[in-house]
Amino acid sequence: MKWWTTRADDQQQKIQGNFSMEEAVKQSVVLTTMDSMVNWGRKNSIWPFNFGLSCCYVEMATSITSKYDVSRFGAEVIRGTPREADMMIVAGTVFIKMAPIIRHLYEQMMAPRWIIAMGACASSGGMYDIYSVVQGVDKFMPVDVYVPGCPPRPDAFLEGIVMLRDKVGQEKRPLSWTIGPQGIIKPQMPAMRELKRDARMKMTEIRPPDEV
Amino acid sequence: MEDLVDIEQEIRVKFPEAIVYVQPTRDVFPTYWISKDYIIPVLGFLKTAPGLQFKFLYDLSAIDEQARQNRGDQPESRFTVFYHLLSFSRNQFLRLKVACPEEKPSVPTATTVWQNANWYEREAYDMFGINFEGHPLLRRILMPQYWEGHPLQKAHPARATEMGQFKMPEDRMLVEQDILQFKPEEWGLSSHGNNNEDFMFLNLGPQHPGTHGVLRLVLQMDGESIVNIVPDIGFHHRGAEKMGERQSWHTYIPYTDRVEYLSGVMNNFPYVMAVEQMGGIEVPDRAKVIRIMLSELFRISSHLVWYGTFAQDLGMMTPVFLMFYDRERLFTIIEAICGDRMHPNWFRIGGVAQDLPNGWEDLVRDFLKYMPGRLNEYDKMIMKNRLFKARTKGIGVYNTEEAIEWGVTGAGLRATGLEWDFRKKQPYSGFDQFEFDVPIAVNGDCYDRSLVRIEEMRQSLRIIQQCVDNMPPGPYKSHHPLTTPPDKKHTMYDIETLINHFVNVSWGPVLPPDESYFGVESSKGHNGYYLVSDGSTMSYRTRIRTPSFPHIQFVPYYSKGYTIADLMAILGSVDFVLSDLDR
Repeated sequence: MKWWTTRADDQQQKIQGNFSMEEAVKQSVVLTTMDSMVNWGRKNSIWPFNFGLSCCYVEMATSITSKYDVSRFGAEVIRGTPREADMMIVAGTVFIKMAPIIRHLYEQMMAPRWIIAMGACASSGGMYDIYSVVQGVDKFMPVDVYVPGCPPRPDAFLEGIVMLRDKVGQEKRPLSWTIGPQGIIKPQMPAMRELKRDARMKMTEIRPPDEV
Repeated sequence: MEDLVDIEQEIRVKFPEAIVYVQPTRDVFPTYWISKDYIIPVLGFLKTAPGLQFKFLYDLSAIDEQARQNRGDQPESRFTVFYHLLSFSRNQFLRLKVACPEEKPSVPTATTVWQNANWYEREAYDMFGINFEGHPLLRRILMPQYWEGHPLQKAHPARATEMGQFKMPEDRMLVEQDILQFKPEEWGLSSHGNNNEDFMFLNLGPQHPGTHGVLRLVLQMDGESIVNIVPDIGFHHRGAEKMGERQSWHTYIPYTDRVEYLSGVMNNFPYVMAVEQMGGIEVPDRAKVIRIMLSELFRISSHLVWYGTFAQDLGMMTPVFLMFYDRERLFTIIEAICGDRMHPNWFRIGGVAQDLPNGWEDLVRDFLKYMPGRLNEYDKMIMKNRLFKARTKGIGVYNTEEAIEWGVTGAGLRATGLEWDFRKKQPYSGFDQFEFDVPIAVNGDCYDRSLVRIEEMRQSLRIIQQCVDNMPPGPYKSHHPLTTPPDKKHTMYDIETLINHFVNVSWGPVLPPDESYFGVESSKGHNGYYLVSDGSTMSYRTRIRTPSFPHIQFVPYYSKGYTIADLMAILGSVDFVLSDLDR
């Protein structure tokens, strides 16, 4: 497809192209399947649920603000109620006392719904192998993306969102209960550790801590 | 020492048989073991007697003594309840202890003397199973109501992995949901008033944007106005105190970062100073100034988060974005120096982790130039905003007397007109060498609490400026053998330092059996660590006194009669953090 934008400060820039019928059709007609169209919509407008448990929530909130700006990835429409949200970010330690409430909130979300376990505590209990903490939210809820860190930097969280977008884009869901085969086919996502290992192994020089 | 004799004599004259034992401790708090029969009269006497005036119940908790090896000649006890009191007129702390040698520990309640003893005693009951006779509502506060056992007892397992895998089948979930249902009768509340009015109970939280985390408040409403509030806490209980009993003195430092997660290294501060006090470690000047500089940077960071979210609670969208941007600028300094953002884990026993990196001055100076203008801009945008004033002035008012009765410290206390800042009153780590003012306000409402915090940010900038201008040269950690990790360079020359190094790195330092308390003026109030060592590589009991706990306990008292919208302003102005509340 051939398309262009005009710069804001350059109103006079001549419009490119030759205005042929063929070009006009190319610019306004998109051929795709219904599935990928819906997936494209889904992955670019994931509405997160305004939900936080502890420290990680502050970094998650930071990712909404100017420097990181989660709206670049279409996930800035924070919802106060789980019924309007697509994605729940379990940001923080999962406490035993809190577990039934988290589960309850999860169950109120409408499908399709996705879960990001943000931080070491939500992924595995992390530093807190202690009587009052559930060792990872996946003990009682399915998780789509795990973001490591204690807490993860906002950039890491954004990477998690990008990975979730990829996953959402590849999912196969029935378009209706009358159309096509039922059931959800989720793609098998590779572990980032595997994908990044080669690049990481090539890193031989690490910045010393003596310089800012 | 004159003070010490004074208190003891006063008690002995009034109650000749009350003091069982006078315990010497490393923190030079006067520490008296009081006979159980006398504890309440003695507390009442200390609170009111002229010349003593220990008006402030600073902390109350217990120690499980059953696994203790080195108690010296302390009175026999299975569970020891301790009371930390503070006298403003004498500027002194005092510790009282009560021994419970019997099978079922039981102590008379102190709620008759202090209102804020209520939650502390509930916590001690929850964590240790100590019965407080005559307590108005002795039920679990941090753990779920169905919990079996008392977590801080030595017999209770510490690790979640010792307790079997966590499972939550449907039926268990329903049972737990049912337990969480609010039943007014259980809390001594009625759904009908005397004048035939019907009250509504409204559940706010634990998942609510206005509570800044997993805090649950149940509001008893009469139409629009709040009749009573029942805070239900413990949803953020992370077992930080129990954790202290299994981490070495050194490896506990990262956990302190996560108690009160907005102020980063400021949490390391009281902990490492308590350990240093116990080990008798003298910290070099450079380390002291680095510590002050970083903790003041974190004070600004924490206040910025408070400022932005508070404004947002009152309906302003823009400030939080601007303030988080400032916070990011501040974090570039923290990242350059510490390598991490929120939990730098940067202080060490006897110093800091590393020397400052080359070029740190420019970063800090840039920030010092940048920040004052922004604060002035925020004054125009927020503090002078008519709507903001209407929402905060005259809302959530309390006076100094009430604040002291309920254990309020920090900006909440200073906003009532009492100039009490521990950095000035009991200077630590060389704060007496710095020039700064203690901002106060007089009305004790939401607006004044904000004023105090904003002025505190300016004062912190002043302190940081002095740190940059006068950073002393020298080592960044002490040469004391208990310093962790010890200096590596000496290990190559003689065997003794090599052994020291090996043992301190692999097992961690061993501290003598003693007790030590240290507190700092943190961003939220007074934050302190009370450590009991039994002569091993780990703490025997770690008690964390956090400011948010009494602050939230106080909220129902002064929120009555307001509307829910006002309650949001009040909660925002308290500036609490859930991990600070439940630990």
